[in-house]
Amino acid sequence: MTVAEHNTTTAMDNAVSVPSAAKVRTPNQSWLKELCLAPAMAWYAVFFFGPLGFFMWFGFWTVEEYTPVADFSLKNYREIFSNLFVGSRYAWGIAQSLWVALPAAIFATTFTYLVVLAIVYGVSRRYQRLALLLMVAPFWSSYLLRLYAWQIILAREGAINSFLTTIGLREWHISLMYTQIATRIGLIHYVTPILIIILYVTVSNIDRALIDVSRNLGATRLQTFRKVILPLSRTGLVISVSFAAIICLGDFLSGSLLGGGGGTSLIGRVPTFPDMIMSEYASSSNLPRTTAMATILVVIMLVVLAISFRFMEPATKGGRR
Amino acid sequence: MTESGERKAWIFAARFWLGIFLVFLYLPIFMLILFSMQKNQFASFPLMGFSTEWYHKLFRDGTLIKALGNSIIVSPAAATVATMISFLAAYAINRFEFRGRNVLTGIFIMPVLIPGLILGVACLGLLSRLHLNGELYSVFLMHVLLTTAPALAIIQLRLSQLPRSHEEAAWDLGATEWQALRRVVIPWALPGIVGGWLLAFTFSFDEFLIAWFVAGFDQTLPVAIFSVLKAVVDPSLNAIGTIVFLISGIVLIGVEIFVLPLVFGRESTSSS
Repeated sequence: MTVAEHNTTTAMDNAVSVPSAAKVRTPNQSWLKELCLAPAMAWYAVFFFGPLGFFMWFGFWTVEEYTPVADFSLKNYREIFSNLFVGSRYAWGIAQSLWVALPAAIFATTFTYLVVLAIVYGVSRRYQRLALLLMVAPFWSSYLLRLYAWQIILAREGAINSFLTTIGLREWHISLMYTQIATRIGLIHYVTPILIIILYVTVSNIDRALIDVSRNLGATRLQTFRKVILPLSRTGLVISVSFAAIICLGDFLSGSLLGGGGGTSLIGRVPTFPDMIMSEYASSSNLPRTTAMATILVVIMLVVLAISFRFMEPATKGGRR
Repeated sequence: MTESGERKAWIFAARFWLGIFLVFLYLPIFMLILFSMQKNQFASFPLMGFSTEWYHKLFRDGTLIKALGNSIIVSPAAATVATMISFLAAYAINRFEFRGRNVLTGIFIMPVLIPGLILGVACLGLLSRLHLNGELYSVFLMHVLLTTAPALAIIQLRLSQLPRSHEEAAWDLGATEWQALRRVVIPWALPGIVGGWLLAFTFSFDEFLIAWFVAGFDQTLPVAIFSVLKAVVDPSLNAIGTIVFLISGIVLIGVEIFVLPLVFGRESTSSS
């Protein structure tokens, strides 16, 4: 074999081996892809789509002798709708839920927005991170225990009232416990740390140059806020309100512990709809009917979401994730 | 008012508001800890002096401690499995290009967006059909699902900062895909993995509704606390609350060390 021949064979070997190696090493083709995705997909299929799919069907089952029987009956829904205004009065529960959740969501968003504005524009850059951390930290503590702590504080002979007595201001006593105002306090306390993150991302992404330009052109602080900052926060605010509203609509704990089940409000001493679902579940063995009620709650949430999406301008909708 | 005076007034107002809000956020936690160490039977002023009797009572009664034990088993187990699942999924999503990748990410995040009440009812419906409900492992199964989403979000965030060239360089130097994963990707992702685990643990440790529906008699801590809370006034709740806040505090410090540098990391490197 001549040298030249030898060279060509090695060259050919290389020519053959290089593409094949490249083929194996293409980052996009590997058995690893399927292998890595498999556990998550399997888990979600069995324990997420399984329950959710079953959930939608289960509401149409009937109960015979305390055992659910597979069926496609509208019986549960007919029972619920016939009880809307009489008997269990589900419509009042739904109204109470909306009356609790929507103001709570709006107040929580307003307070949090002011907090975020204060952090972004009122705290020097060095301390912003610390301020943010302090505001988000309560998220890591147990929601249930925080509600219990609010019970301690708001109770008739609780921390605030007994403190007022001690310093001789008995006539200033508050009576918030077991009203829906207390429910809203608990809810606002719960959602605030989450909303902080959404709104901080929104506000801190507003271009400072726009604010400087507005101020240099003679706008006052309030004008700059109204014409520049507020419009640019719109998407974040709408997301924040709707997110908070969904959480508040689905929350059972605050209404149960601070509202005391049927807490008083303008609507009357009516429990929230989630509370009705939970007592329905506890008192009857009719799981399909409980499921049907939960399905109605989902529909209400979807309606709220759909309405809130109408408030987002088409131009900004989905512009940033 | 002069311009600088007005500016000062605004800044003062902003910080004043922050102060009020911090009081609002931390007052409940502070009160709970305060009254856990007081002789008062009811949480009311005036304070009657330091005492640890509620802690003694807590450990004597044992119900809440048993539930704490259940939680200490379920939550780390669920967090560990969820972290493994979500690391693998995050790796695949981050490395490979395929159709429906964003949809898949969206699906993986979904369980935390669906209210616990809905998911709880849905899980109970299916698990009771399969006769899997009413045991501790039912809570485990559902908590793995619930905590995969937050863990995935954190790990994904970390992996997305891994320059693609690192892994490719390992392959070019002869590493198999498995070796590259083990020696390059996992060490890089480690802060994300730890952070994801801590977040998953927190979600599971505090989760009430799903556990309430599927737990049966093997109650996790939030479920047990809720039952006590609905029945009697028991100051040992203050004691268990303080212990739980302590655990959360430790987790939070871990999050601060492992997660926040990921979120703020880019900012600090670009400014330096």
